[in-house]
Amino acid sequence: MKLPFSGRPLALAVLSSLIFSLPVAHAEEAPKVALVMKSLANEFFRTMEDGAKDYQKTHASEFQLVANGIKNETDTGEQIRIVEQMVNSGAKALVIAPADSKALVSAVKKAMDKGVIVINIDNRLDPETLKSKGISVPFVGPDNRKGARMVGDYLAQQKLKAGDQVGIIEGVPTTTNAQQRTAGFKDAMEAAQMKIVSVQSGNWEIDKGNAVAASMLNEYPDLKALLAGNDSMALGAVSAVRAAGKTGQVQVVGYDNIKAIEPMLKDGRVLATLDQAASEQAVFGIQAALKMLKGEQPGVDADNVIQTPVKLITK
Amino acid sequence: MKTTTNTSDAAPVRRSGTYFGLGTYLGLAGALLAMIVLFSLLSSHFLSYATFSTLANQIPDLMVLAVGMTFVLIIGGIDLSVGSVLALAASAVSVAILGWGWGVLPAALLGMAVAALAGTVTGSITVAWRIPSFIVSLGVLEMARGLAYQFTDSRTAYIGDAFAWFSNPIAFGISPAFIIALLVIVLAQLVLTRTVFGRYLIGIGTNEEAVRLAGIDPRPYKILVFALMGVLAGLAALFQISRLEAADPNAGSGMELQVIAAVVIGGTSLMGGRGSVISTFFGVLIISVLAAGLAQIGASEPTKRIITGAVIVIAVVLDTYRSRRANRRN
Repeated sequence: MKLPFSGRPLALAVLSSLIFSLPVAHAEEAPKVALVMKSLANEFFRTMEDGAKDYQKTHASEFQLVANGIKNETDTGEQIRIVEQMVNSGAKALVIAPADSKALVSAVKKAMDKGVIVINIDNRLDPETLKSKGISVPFVGPDNRKGARMVGDYLAQQKLKAGDQVGIIEGVPTTTNAQQRTAGFKDAMEAAQMKIVSVQSGNWEIDKGNAVAASMLNEYPDLKALLAGNDSMALGAVSAVRAAGKTGQVQVVGYDNIKAIEPMLKDGRVLATLDQAASEQAVFGIQAALKMLKGEQPGVDADNVIQTPVKLITK
Repeated sequence: MKTTTNTSDAAPVRRSGTYFGLGTYLGLAGALLAMIVLFSLLSSHFLSYATFSTLANQIPDLMVLAVGMTFVLIIGGIDLSVGSVLALAASAVSVAILGWGWGVLPAALLGMAVAALAGTVTGSITVAWRIPSFIVSLGVLEMARGLAYQFTDSRTAYIGDAFAWFSNPIAFGISPAFIIALLVIVLAQLVLTRTVFGRYLIGIGTNEEAVRLAGIDPRPYKILVFALMGVLAGLAALFQISRLEAADPNAGSGMELQVIAAVVIGGTSLMGGRGSVISTFFGVLIISVLAAGLAQIGASEPTKRIITGAVIVIAVVLDTYRSRRANRRN
């Protein structure tokens, strides 16, 4: 094969980098833990990654960390490729926040077949699909349904009375987190005998959340509260409430406790949100993976879940 | 739905007497009206002043982006980067205000300048290397989004009500943002139909070689159109910041498709050479009324997508009939 002039130095560079990288990877003693995230554009995952990196710095002798994220939260194909690359590059453990709870299962199985320890964080892999593949993956994470229920209960106790109309702004409906949070909101609202008049998706985004909230406010003039599946959509809902001239009359609650929500909590435009220790999720996952690498039990419950703490935030 | 913008209303020679006439827009207006009637029947509160003033205050960003895109499509280009450029401008504004303590006005100007620069880059590269703008703007889309994440550390920034006056209703429930967007539309339509610059753009889109042979260098005009698209994306970013009181680095993702859909529904040709800003405005209204109406009747996410997609396809199919008729007439 004859390479064009500029191709030769390029090929040389690629080959030599391969040669140099191979022995290095084997010489290291600390096992390589691959952290595969969803979109690093989302600050929730960004915080997680930062937490993991800080943890690695203080435990540098125990493991090496390679963190990867996908560009678009729904790009499952790219995430599968990253998983394969991580396995090929000799990762001993994989801590993954799957972009899709079903589509990633077969990539996870392939990794496990090669002896890689897999820990699932953030978005739980579908237990049925896992079972059909004959594998079980420990899930480390918060109970989103319980968290949403806490937010909903607080809203109902503080500001609503039985029979009030409420609307739910859901995240991307195909994700387990969105489904669990909506289910938790519904649990709370139904227990307090509220009337859920509309459930619509705001795709986790401010602008879409804003549009959906505005439509709900127009359609249901008696609406008393908007329950948003994350804080970005809650921010959008707050603007919609303001635009409708209903500040104070319509309550807004969110989820995730991002920084931008702080001023809203302070002046009451957002009643409550939930902190599920975002920055520590990846660390919890890594800790479980390290335990398993040493051959210890990670301490899962009967459901193969390690629950992490959730905390209601008001003001 | 019958779209009725025709070639002649933008072409230099007045042919059918519908030069600026309302007749041109009857088809689009009819479709819009049909949609409003339908949603009014399906929902108990759709037909209310609140619905329409909410809508009017939500769409200024889409309106100005669609104006820019109309120009870009007319010269036979396309700009996929608008959503990302919007986010980049919003991020620049948030960093200037929160990080560097700048005032509202300089921060706003910085945002617009950054967006204008992004547009100029797309335009210049497209022209200088004669690369399809589709692929150049795809690259700029990625870069602008990456820079937006970089600037904001991927975090949503709460800006507060510094810009709120922009989107707070001043009279009849209408915000300054909507009025500015309307002015942009009127101005752009005048530029397109009544100025030499407008004629050149249509000429470039119809037959660039002919324009060149006529002794006019089309390159600066093309760059200018992309730069203008950038400026309008910056303006859209300001509208969004004021409405949402926050700058979101994920803002406007996928918005380019919404914008292109609105422009094409308005009958602007993807092949260049034909388009009208007023028709684009109708396209924006159709897309937004559809979205608001579907949300108000509580349609599920899959239903929303299927119906929105179908409306786009139907509009474009109807448009081919119209352009064939126009060709025969010529």
